[in-house]
Amino acid sequence: MEKQPGKQAATEPPDSGAGGGEGEPPQVAGAQAARPEDRLTLLLRLRAQTKQQLLEYKSMVDATEEKTPEQILQDKQIEAKIEDLENEIEEVKVAFEMKKLALDRMQLSTALKKNLEKNNPRTSVLMDNMKHVLKLNKLIMKSHQESWDLEEKLLDVRKKRLQLKQASESKLLEIQTEKNKQKDDLAVMENSDKMKTIQQNLQMEIQITTVIQHVFQNLILGSKANWAEDPAFKEIVLQLEKNLTMI
Amino acid sequence: MSVLRPLDKQPGLNTATILLVGTEDALLQQLADSMLKEDCASELKVHLARSLPLPSNVNRPRIDLIMFVVNLHSKYSLRNVEESLRHVDATFFLGKVGFLATGAGRESHCSVHRSTVVRLARTYRSPLLFCDPEVDGFRAPVAQRLVRMLQICAGHVPGVSALNLLSLLRSSENPTLEDL
Repeated sequence: MEKQPGKQAATEPPDSGAGGGEGEPPQVAGAQAARPEDRLTLLLRLRAQTKQQLLEYKSMVDATEEKTPEQILQDKQIEAKIEDLENEIEEVKVAFEMKKLALDRMQLSTALKKNLEKNNPRTSVLMDNMKHVLKLNKLIMKSHQESWDLEEKLLDVRKKRLQLKQASESKLLEIQTEKNKQKDDLAVMENSDKMKTIQQNLQMEIQITTVIQHVFQNLILGSKANWAEDPAFKEIVLQLEKNLTMI
Repeated sequence: MSVLRPLDKQPGLNTATILLVGTEDALLQQLADSMLKEDCASELKVHLARSLPLPSNVNRPRIDLIMFVVNLHSKYSLRNVEESLRHVDATFFLGKVGFLATGAGRESHCSVHRSTVVRLARTYRSPLLFCDPEVDGFRAPVAQRLVRMLQICAGHVPGVSALNLLSLLRSSENPTLEDL
């Protein structure tokens, strides 16, 4: 790019009216002495600049046409609104970039297509590259498929394990309910009336037998017979001593 | 005129004007010299001012970029900048205003905390640059950045506008500052 000499600096004191020191004519006049190519470059650059500046002014005019809300908003609301607007700008920019990318890709593919049609398609390096790319893509797809199958198998195994777990859970639950039922039945039976009457009868029999035992004991003691000498007699007496409630 | 408005004058052909506002004249002069030394295809004009409002009787070209220079070593410069901000129209802040903080390297001399300037820049939604002009190596890159920003704000770069640049320069929000 051509160098533009003649850049200037100027100071502006806030109080005194002495103005800054600018005033050199713009360097466009100086470029007339340059070669025609430089002039062309300069003109093109000026054209781009003017276009951009025109765009800025236009967008400013459009912006001022929009109505601004008249009510006085709180600080936080203003900040939130500003952030929303900034996010909108970002989204628009991103969308624009994506569209540009897609457009570039389409242009590239058509240019590539035209190039291929023009050149000899068999011998170019491009064809080799493309064949390589296709081979790699096939490999990728195959490995994708394989990994997909393995994942399916894994999923099946996991499902089966889950089913087994559920089945074992239900079985254990059944066992537990059966046990509880048995316990309940036992308790019911123990508390039933039949058991009570049987127990009462048993108690009475035990008491009657105990009384009879005592009676025999007292008879033998009262008869003053020597029961320690005869072993059969001794056994009988000792048996009478047995406490029946402990059986 | 007491309020600076962007786009109120016609742009000069191939000209870009930057206004540096700050209390330290030597610093501004240094920055201006570094900027003018930069290689740039368009013609640059640098205006220096200690504070706004600018005197209205001077015929000056359209101002494309305003940089407010805050010296972190003096609270006066911060206050000066804050007062000058009132004389700038709101439409200027759509990318044509920037803050430049100097003196952040010497932490012991800083009477203005870094976060104050950061908050100021965030309130006005403008980019904040840091510069240490005493170190020679820092001046040239900062001048380069300023020249590039100026070119974009003046419309000399096709396809990029000041607003575009603003959203590009927006740094990600620091979460610790948000909690304050």
